[in-house]
Order: sequence, then C-alpha cells, then structure tokens
Amino acid sequence: MKSGSSGLTTVQITGLFLGIFGLILPFLLPLGTLSFAGHIGLGIFIMAAIFWMFEPIPIYATSMLVILLQIVLLSAQGPMYMDAKLPSGEPVELQENTWQIPANALKGDNTVLVVTEPGKTEPVRVDVIERNGRHVIVRSEELSADQSIVTDTGHRLVNYQPNSYTDYLGTLANPIIILFLGGFMLAEASVKYNLDKNLTRYLLSPFGSKPRFIILGLMLVTAALSAFMSNTATAAMMVTVILPIIAQLEPGDRFKFGLALSIPIAANIGGITTPIGTPPNAIVIAALTEYGISISFTDWIILAAPLVVIMLLFAWWLLLILFPPSVERFKLDIKGKLNTKPKAIGLYVIFAATVLLWITENQHGIPSSMVAFLPVAALVTGSILNKNDIRNLPWDVLWLMAGGISLGIGMDKTGLAVWMISGLDWGAMGYITLILVFALVAVGMSNFLSNTVTATLMMPLVISLHTSGVMGDSFNLLVTGIVIAVACSLAMALPISTPPNAIAMSTGIIRTKDMARVGVIIGAVGVMLVLAYAVFYWPLVTN
Amino acid sequence: MERSDIYILCIEDEQEVLDAVVRDLEKLEEQFPVETANSAEEARDVIEKLLDDDKKIGLILCDHILPGDNGVELLIELHNDERTHASRKVLLTGQAGLDDTVRALNEARLHHYIPKPWTREELLEAAVNLLTDFVIEEEENILPYMSTLDAEKISESIRTRRSISDE
Repeated sequence: MKSGSSGLTTVQITGLFLGIFGLILPFLLPLGTLSFAGHIGLGIFIMAAIFWMFEPIPIYATSMLVILLQIVLLSAQGPMYMDAKLPSGEPVELQENTWQIPANALKGDNTVLVVTEPGKTEPVRVDVIERNGRHVIVRSEELSADQSIVTDTGHRLVNYQPNSYTDYLGTLANPIIILFLGGFMLAEASVKYNLDKNLTRYLLSPFGSKPRFIILGLMLVTAALSAFMSNTATAAMMVTVILPIIAQLEPGDRFKFGLALSIPIAANIGGITTPIGTPPNAIVIAALTEYGISISFTDWIILAAPLVVIMLLFAWWLLLILFPPSVERFKLDIKGKLNTKPKAIGLYVIFAATVLLWITENQHGIPSSMVAFLPVAALVTGSILNKNDIRNLPWDVLWLMAGGISLGIGMDKTGLAVWMISGLDWGAMGYITLILVFALVAVGMSNFLSNTVTATLMMPLVISLHTSGVMGDSFNLLVTGIVIAVACSLAMALPISTPPNAIAMSTGIIRTKDMARVGVIIGAVGVMLVLAYAVFYWPLVTN
Repeated sequence: MERSDIYILCIEDEQEVLDAVVRDLEKLEEQFPVETANSAEEARDVIEKLLDDDKKIGLILCDHILPGDNGVELLIELHNDERTHASRKVLLTGQAGLDDTVRALNEARLHHYIPKPWTREELLEAAVNLLTDFVIEEEENILPYMSTLDAEKISESIRTRRSISDE
C-alpha cells in the first residue's frame, strides 16, 4: 500500500466507505436475537475488519479507533449508556396467573423478560389473552408479583450490562502488553549495543563453512532471536548477514534463492516459540486469560518449541531440495566486536536474568508479565536506554494488540461473539474438523492480512464456541487457541504476508513464485503438523 | 521497478558531458527519473517545477563552470533552501580551484566530489550511496529502494530505526 503524500488508492477509498457503511449496517438489518449493544459491537467489528483488510488508515490506527468507538458507544460512562436505566416494572396481577403488562413488555415470540440480576434477564413464556392498546393481558404460571419485568424489550440495556470505559482503555496495560513492552525494551537495547549481531556471530560459528550447515545455522539463529525479538528486526539484521554471502555466488546461482528465503521463513516460524515471539500470541493469550486459562511462559515454550523445531528442519530440507548448494564452502564474515562497556555488560546481565526468569516461570511461579517489568525499569534505571530509545519503541504494535484485545472484550460483553456462532451447527462438524478448518482459515487469512488482525478476528469465535458449549466436552479451548496462534504465523506465501517476507522480497534476490511455492508447501505441511499436535501432543501437555 | 518521486538533477553546460552523465546513471533512471539543466538559471526552473509537482530532489550532480552563477554558488543556494537542504550534492568538475572547493565543502556541505574524468563505476557507486542515505533519511517506506540501492545499509536501518514493525 502506498502511504504518505500520494493520497489514497481506489482500493483504500472503497475500504473507507465500506467500513463506514459497515459501522451502521447492523442497524439496517433484522438481526433477531442480537442485543442493541450487540448491533453496535457488530458495526465496530465489521468496520474494523474492513479497515484492517483495505487499510484506508494504518492498522494500528484502526485499533485505536476501535477503542475510541467502544468507550463512546459501549461503555457505561459513554453518552450512549451514561444515563440509561433499564425500564422495568412489576406485572399487575388481575387474578391468579393472569397478568396485565405494558404492551412493550411483550416480545414478538410471546415472552416476557424477567430481571434476574442487574443486566441479566430471563425470558418467560406467556399466553396472550387479550391486547388492549397500551396493555396486554397474559396468562402465566411463572410470573409473580414481586418480580421485576422489562417494560420495553427493545431497550438498549436489555441483555447488556455496559462495563467501564477503563476496561477498554486498560487494555494497553494488559499484562500481556506489558510482557511485550519488556521484550521490546530488551530488543531495543540489544540493537543499540549490537548484542543481536554479536550473538549471531557466536552462534553461527559452530556451523562451519559448508553451505547446507550455514543455512541450518542461519535458520536456527534467526528463529532463536525472533523468539525473543521482533521477527522483522531479526530478519532485517540477518539480511545484512546473508547479502555478503550472496555476493560470493555466481549471478545465476539458484542457491541464493534458498539463502534469501531461509531468513523470512525462520523469522516467521521462530516467533511461534515464546509468548513474546510475535503479536498474535499475545492476542490468543489475552483472550484465554479473560476466560481464566492462564498459560505460563514455560508452558507456551513446551507447547510450541517442538513444533517450531520440526517446522524449521522441514523448511531447511525443503530449501536444500529446491535450491541445492552449488559451492563447496563459504566464507562467513560478520564484522563486530563484543561491546564490553559497563552499560553493555549491564544489558547482558538484565537480558540473561529476564530470559532465565521467563523460561523458568513454572519453577518459581512469578508471572512473566511481572518479570517483564524488570527489564523495563532496570534498563532505564541504568541509563542503558534513554528517553529517545523509549520513544523509538514500536508503540504502534502495542496499540495494535491493545485494540485487538479491546475488540475481543467488546464482542464478548455485548453477546456478539455468541450470537455470531449461533447461526451454524458447529457440533455437527466435529472437533478435529473444526481444528482443521480454523487452522486453514487462519493460515489463509493471515497470508493476506496482518497476523495479529487474523488472530483478533478469530479468537472471539473460538471463545464463544467454548462458552456456548455447542462443541460439547471434546472442545479444548487452550488447544484451539494455540492452533490459531501457530497458524497465523505459518502464513508466508506472499511478500505481503509478513514484514520479514516483504524485506526478503525487497532485496530483489528472490522471485515471488519461489516465495509462493515454498510458502504454500510450508503452510500446508504446517497445518497438518498443527492438526497432529492438536490431537496427540497438546492435549497431553495441557491436561 | 516502480518509478519513485525522487529525482536526480544533473547540471552541466557541455551537452556531450551531460549525455555521458545521464548514460552512466541509466541503471538508476528507471526508479529515479533524471532531469537535466545547462545552467544554474535553468536548474532553478527545473527545481521549482519539480517541487511544485510534489516531487523530491534526491541527488544533484553539478559542474562547477557554468554560464551565469557557477556550480558552487548554486549548491550553496540549494543547501540554504530548506526544500533542497536534504538533497545529496555532488560537485562533478575538473576546474574548481581550491577556494571554490573549500567553499563548497563548508557552505554547501558538499556530500561528494568527483573529479573529471570519472569512471562509470565511480559515478554510479557515489550515486547509489548518496541516494541510499537520502531515502533512509527522508522516506517513510524504504523497502522499494532495496533492490536498486545499498540493500545492506537499508536493512541495517530497518534494524536500528524500526521503521517496519511486526504486525
């Protein structure tokens, strides 16, 4: 997409209008059982989805807009619900089991809404005896005189208890966002003091000079770094490592395709390894946490790392088959010297301590988000990072995730998520088919959309499949969540699929068709592997 | 290769020399359109026209001996104009004396000096380096320039400046 002064493209303008139309669309459609707030939530959801797809505004801007619309239109303090009170009254008993109620209290399906607790109502069936203008006389054995019934069933508070605007704003300080903030600050400091490059130099040295092992080394190091740093920054750094190698090759040598593809593939896959590896993991973890399923840093690694290793080895094998090495050996020369100034040493200590505390969360029980504040505070206390470095953090990614988490909260609170899944007979699909479909849809979507956005759009559905119970006991929320997170990171068929792909493609070394071929194979094999893990391995570990 | 809105401007009064410069920059022309001028006066017109069209001037290659104002005077003027301040400036000459060269360095913050006669490799390498610095400094999206310019430097700037983040 073009940005800057060149103005919006036709696609973006179309998206802009479609998105605005999407915001009001739910109010133009008869949506039956969906609450009034659900209509608002659906409008926000459609608008966000369209904006995220067509990008008339940047994706992080859409996230911020989502939060704005939610605090204005859905929160208890917003103009929509600020003074709202659920209109209710007691039914008037004319004689035994015969009641007079206001006409608006009777719903189209001949039910009356009895208030059970604030914000919650329960429908009660009644038989209509007589309608006389503003009142209706009904027969029911379930009503009683001390019950409060909703006197206007179309009211915006019916089946909706608005939550505080602070819930939506607070998503930016959600523990998972703080975990990422800690990771971002470590990464920022690593780049500042060249720790990432020096680590790469040390870690690559045991892989020798044989091309096939150099590729393996490049992939393992890229994946290991992108498990803790941004996939994009890792890929950009590794591209500077491989360009001098590629310069040693003959111009027509196909081996360079394999070399140049190994970096984005490993960076994309590496992000799966830890909770902070890549933003979709955060969306999934935040959604699961809302439902009381906590997943520790250690647990995540135990679940994800075996899959990452197999995918990396498969990708390595695939690249060697498709683009066999043409030379006997390479000279790998990464310039640099380990920085031994006190601040750099401080960074190494903080980095090591944080990562150690993260991966041993199960042993000591200190939540990883709490640990994350160690680097946040320590790096600035030690002046290892200054205020310019803090300004340089990828705040757009934090807001992108916060908006995604906020959208999920809204969809849940308004009943939208449950309503959206209610149209289909999910139970008939079977759990394994469902996992397969989710994985395929996630890979398919995130090839074209941001991985974070894909996870954001899919997680509310996963959650409501769980809460509604339509899938029965076989449904494992944690496993399904991980399927989504992993599948979002397995999409790498196109230059636009992920920023590392875009960087690798921009070098001009690879052709789109090579990337597509390798990406489709990795996506397909990845989905199969995810399915196998979801059936055989993950349930063992999570139970 | 998509044409960018970053222009290369060559100022030289001898037509054959100008043609030679343009020919040597052929590899870049697909992405960075080349404009030419025979005098400082004409160069100002070209610059005004380009800036009016919302184009940017990434690289200015200027001979010293020109009819009217000389090359060093023009470069100083362009350095002091905020719209062309960021443009990379090259003095391509055989005849600039020490005084003029010192002035160009001190007052126009000359980025590069190419003595005549030059080789194609020398000119191209200087142009690639200077345009790389320009896009890293001035452009929001630098990916489109990676394959024509210095890919290593551009990757390095993505790494350190985080102009692209995970999404």
